[in-house]
Amino acid sequence: MSALAGLKRWETLLFAVLLVVMTLNGIESKYYWGVGNFVNLFQLSIEKSIVALMMAFIIIGADIDLSVASVMGLAACVMAWTFQQGAPLPLAIVMALGAGVLAGLNNAFWIAYVGLPSLAVTLAGLIGYRGVARILVEDRAIGGFPLWFNTLGQQALIGPLTLSIVIFFVLFGFFALLLHASAFGRLVYVVGSNIQAARYSGVRVGLVKTTMFVGSALVAALAGILYAARLGSVRGDTADGFELDIITTVLLGGVSIFGGKGNLIGVGLSLLVILNLRNGMGLADITGNTQNYVVGGLLILSVLIPNVYQDIQNKWKGRKR
Amino acid sequence: MTKYLMGVAAAALISLLPQVATAEEGMAAPGKDVSMVLLPKFLGILPFDQAHKGAEEAAKELKNPAALQFLGPTPQNSVAGQIEIVTNATTQGTKAIMISNNSGDQIVPAAKAAQAKGIKVVTWDSPIPSSEGEDVFVAQVDFNDIGKVMADMTLNLTGPEGGEFAILSASPDAANQNAWIAGMKIALKDPKYAKLKLDDIVYGNDESEKSYTQAQALIDKYPHVKVIMAPTSVGIVAAAKALQDEKLCDKVKISGLGLPSEMLAYTKNGCAPQFALWSFVDLGYLTYYTSYMLATGALEAKEGAKFKAGRMGEFTITKDPTRAKGLRILMGPFTIYDKDNVEAAAK
Repeated sequence: MSALAGLKRWETLLFAVLLVVMTLNGIESKYYWGVGNFVNLFQLSIEKSIVALMMAFIIIGADIDLSVASVMGLAACVMAWTFQQGAPLPLAIVMALGAGVLAGLNNAFWIAYVGLPSLAVTLAGLIGYRGVARILVEDRAIGGFPLWFNTLGQQALIGPLTLSIVIFFVLFGFFALLLHASAFGRLVYVVGSNIQAARYSGVRVGLVKTTMFVGSALVAALAGILYAARLGSVRGDTADGFELDIITTVLLGGVSIFGGKGNLIGVGLSLLVILNLRNGMGLADITGNTQNYVVGGLLILSVLIPNVYQDIQNKWKGRKR
Repeated sequence: MTKYLMGVAAAALISLLPQVATAEEGMAAPGKDVSMVLLPKFLGILPFDQAHKGAEEAAKELKNPAALQFLGPTPQNSVAGQIEIVTNATTQGTKAIMISNNSGDQIVPAAKAAQAKGIKVVTWDSPIPSSEGEDVFVAQVDFNDIGKVMADMTLNLTGPEGGEFAILSASPDAANQNAWIAGMKIALKDPKYAKLKLDDIVYGNDESEKSYTQAQALIDKYPHVKVIMAPTSVGIVAAAKALQDEKLCDKVKISGLGLPSEMLAYTKNGCAPQFALWSFVDLGYLTYYTSYMLATGALEAKEGAKFKAGRMGEFTITKDPTRAKGLRILMGPFTIYDKDNVEAAAK
């Protein structure tokens, strides 16, 4: 029975999948088990991973933020544009983070205080913020940032780890505490599982939602700046389409799309599964559509397995009675 | 010990040999094990498949025991995908990476990391704009010539009275398309083309559907437009189809760069009476030869180096006049297709 109780935990399954993927990768490629490769594996998707952490809050809160990738692009473009106008880069970075906060406040206003569904509001954000980004940068690429900026984005900072990777781990620790060991975290779950009950029991739902959407946009803006530093130049289409990968990771991590369920350990494991899977396929010279196909299949399974499991469990209980 | 020393001496001699040869003309030494990656802008587009065919032909000729890897991202994920493939190829210790760059200068950090590990980075079809992280660029035709050919074709289609035209390009940061458009703008300054007026430049991202709607939007926005010039094999087909579907082919003509096999129907029915292209098979072949010779040390990426690329004959590495820095190998030439020769080329 205790073995079964262990098995039914989604995280255990993810961990098993991770071990299988890592074992297969090691057999498939002799380049897999190397420090350099593991740094690359994180670094190639680090911005998406950072944004996924805050996305977990939003989905647990029974909302969605489709505008994150556009906010990444917006922040990168605001930074590049401000820098190109002659401002020092640190000021440009502050402006970019400010643009992120504004985008988040805008999302939060319509969702938390006007009461529109987050799906619609952030879909509008996805289109609108991208539009602003493209207007700022037009059809150019803006680069030529100071050396320290590119170095921070591309070179190791502590041991073999880059700044982005360090930021990811710090944020992971912080968000895990916030979600699982703070009053705010409990409110997120309450809002996500039953918003009416939350309202009646005096939870300031509007404030919780505003905090989440502003936090999400601010983290996305930071990720956009890190992405610009990693690539050394910015275009209007920076981070275009990243939102789907980010949401995929969170859902695969066992966070329920209906809200109220999930945790950051699951999201972390899901990140590791997807990154290792993509890396392994890349090293085995499998790219493009096949990779998408495999990750898509994994997502369908992740939705299917818990549902089927629930069904079986219900039938089993019914028979016992 | 003596055996070891003799081995070292022999290796030293062998390593000297190609250098002696480059003083005259680089010759490829077949049969060396050189792992190579051919990286298109993205998968699933005919010209890139043709380049792959040409590269495979060269691989067979050079008897390279390492299989050529043809790896590419999806169009939706082109930038991140290209960077990921270059990074993984670097991890794998590949000897040469051949990139049709769709990532502008965003590919530079990954390409530089590859070079730092001794990997030869050769671009083809579309170069790295700043040329950083790139050994040499294999150019299909002179980029300024493309501009002139596009201007000529536009004037042919408007007739001597001239008129308005628009450009439907690929992605806004495709270095090759941008260079051709810049080349065309320079060509247009010639009084010969004084009666041509460029209305607008729009981008279809090399996606059929987006190119199709962009072409429709152009016709709506500029009712007097007479020619849509699409310097991309995806855009030109999509635009021709849009005009055919709207039954506007007698009013507006399509031209640009396209593949005969894809353009046959539209050239025959008058939607796209004239377009141009070079051989992508040859481009793949020449790129493979260049990269193989660079990776084996038979050729050095420096100005003035000469080499022989199999059936295509002799080439010289020169400065790239279309970029501020960077080296170039110029392939050429152009073929202009119309109703008289398109059918034969489409086969």
